Amino acid sequence: MLIENMSMAFAAIRVNKMRSFLTMLGIIIGIGSVISIVSIGDTMRNLFSDIYKDVGITQGYLYIGYWVEDVRESDYFTLDEMERIRDVFADEIAYIDSNAYTSADASYRRTTVSFDFSGIDANYIDVQPVDMVYGRYLNEGDILGRRRNVVMDTDSARLLFGEENAVGKTFRATIYGSTDEYTVVGVYRKNMNAFQALLMGSGGDTGSAFIPYTLLTWPNDTFYAIRVFAGDDVDLTSFFARLQAYVARTKNRQPQDWYLQTAMDEMTMVDSVMGGLSAAVGGIAAISLLVGGIGIMNIMLVSVTERTREIGIRKSLGAKTRDIMIQFLTESAILSACGGAIGILLGAGVVWIGGSLAGIPVVVKPSVVVLAVSFSAVVGIFFGIYPASRAARSNPIDALRYE
Amino acid sequence: MIPYTDRLAGLLGRRKTPPYLTENLSEDLIVLDRLVKIYDTGTIKVLGLKKISLTIRRGEFVAIMGKSGSGKSTLMNILGCLDQPTLGHYYLDGVDTASLSPDELSEIRNHKIGFVFQSFNLISRTSALKNVELPMTYARKSKRERRERAMELLKRVGLEARADHMPNELSGGQRQRVAIARALANDPPLILADEPTGNLDTAASEEIMELFSRLHQDGATVVVVTHEENIAAFTERIIRFQDGEVVSDRKNRPALPESRRGKEEISC
Repeated sequence: MLIENMSMAFAAIRVNKMRSFLTMLGIIIGIGSVISIVSIGDTMRNLFSDIYKDVGITQGYLYIGYWVEDVRESDYFTLDEMERIRDVFADEIAYIDSNAYTSADASYRRTTVSFDFSGIDANYIDVQPVDMVYGRYLNEGDILGRRRNVVMDTDSARLLFGEENAVGKTFRATIYGSTDEYTVVGVYRKNMNAFQALLMGSGGDTGSAFIPYTLLTWPNDTFYAIRVFAGDDVDLTSFFARLQAYVARTKNRQPQDWYLQTAMDEMTMVDSVMGGLSAAVGGIAAISLLVGGIGIMNIMLVSVTERTREIGIRKSLGAKTRDIMIQFLTESAILSACGGAIGILLGAGVVWIGGSLAGIPVVVKPSVVVLAVSFSAVVGIFFGIYPASRAARSNPIDALRYE
Repeated sequence: MIPYTDRLAGLLGRRKTPPYLTENLSEDLIVLDRLVKIYDTGTIKVLGLKKISLTIRRGEFVAIMGKSGSGKSTLMNILGCLDQPTLGHYYLDGVDTASLSPDELSEIRNHKIGFVFQSFNLISRTSALKNVELPMTYARKSKRERRERAMELLKRVGLEARADHMPNELSGGQRQRVAIARALANDPPLILADEPTGNLDTAASEEIMELFSRLHQDGATVVVVTHEENIAAFTERIIRFQDGEVVSDRKNRPALPESRRGKEEISC
């Protein structure tokens, strides 16, 4: 009987191909937009979490709170203090530096390019791996000896020197008021997709380079902040709390005087904002599903009126109220489910094509697809109930007499 | 009323034959007891049938005649369980139909009545075979059983070669024969034909009436509603209606169609 109903429904849908398609269109657009919007949201979240993974999800920054008014000189960090912190938390800390960075113009012959300089320690490559293509990475000697050596990416090298292999080349830059000659010791290749590059704000006409963090000190050889990468298996929440408490104790302050910022917290926040955003927009898109459902109801009402005579014949041959009801419900559910299926293909297809054009891995969650299909079937059944019950209730004599 | 437990069994899907569907082999297939039908149009009440009492026995071939407005269509609808009388009782196969719900009436129509309509009433864009299968579909017969029986019935009306044709690909006479095959699908005790030849030419009309005669000879009870004397002439009993009342009810010696009359005379 179910198969009978299905084949009857498909036959009825086929008879009015154009009308059936237009009816489905509401659902197609509704489901398509919900799927694409939610998938775009999920793709973005995935992308952000990738970026955070790239930047280092285990990292955190610690510095004296901006709300603290009596900032003392001891609130800054010295190299010795950083060394001590590294020793105390030897099991947890994978990397520590001062999170120092600055912008300055770099000049080579007649070319001047604005550069972002990031101060790093020699083992930064362990927590943020890069592919060295020319020369070498910064080493202990560069750091401890405060040598004016830099490592930059291929794009920056081409920007400043006009070629990728800039090893041995020197440029002039004025950092913290002192104009000096810097030497390129290595060049690495950046690996990121177009979207990441866009978000990270690099590319374009600004270069970036790593220099020994010991070159970027505040007065009296101190640093304003520390940046820590925890090891992979470390419980981040507990570790950063202990680190905060330790630093506060050594500097005779309360833990809450120290501002702690972790990538984890940031990512959670961004993720929840994006999740909320895509849910909200998806919800708005879902309204179009409602409109689609009303379209189905409208067409089913027309169909019931058109087929009054057929309903009468069926009733005279022994169809019960339930039989007629199920026949029309099946039809509206199939209309809606077909629309849903096409909508999913369309929505996922748009996201997929967009993703592959932008070179971004696309996320289409199966749960969203399942939800969309069931929602569209529910829409079909819900909006089919009224027309179907009108068909089922009709009086066979009146229905037979209907022309 | 059907006992509550049986209704419950029906609801629970236990396929127990309800009492109103059980075979009842009494002599009288149709018993009308002081049947009254009043149409309430809101402003005036129209008396459609005035205390009709009538009995049709199993195996009879009956014509119900009358002009339009005589009440014959009203009676036809009630006989077909498409409508219910305002007063009085209609016993079909021993069951009082007045007490049945719309769905129970559907089942009665499905199992006990085979309809043949003036305008054929085949489902459009559906093959002849599927049309014949339809009553069996509603009787929840298996696909194989339906197909076999439908083919057998189409063969019986001489249309097995047209099984896959759509109604609009068939002539009027062929359509009506498909409709007759459909009426026979669940082997109902009563065949009810409402002006079955009204839309057909003389040759096709004769063909259809011959088919009814044959069904009757095979033991079916056939009731034909018509206003044409030459159609009624095929039957064995003619009941005339006027103003909602039976004005005459007499036996008729069936006239044989031209084609068969010759043979009959030779055999006599």
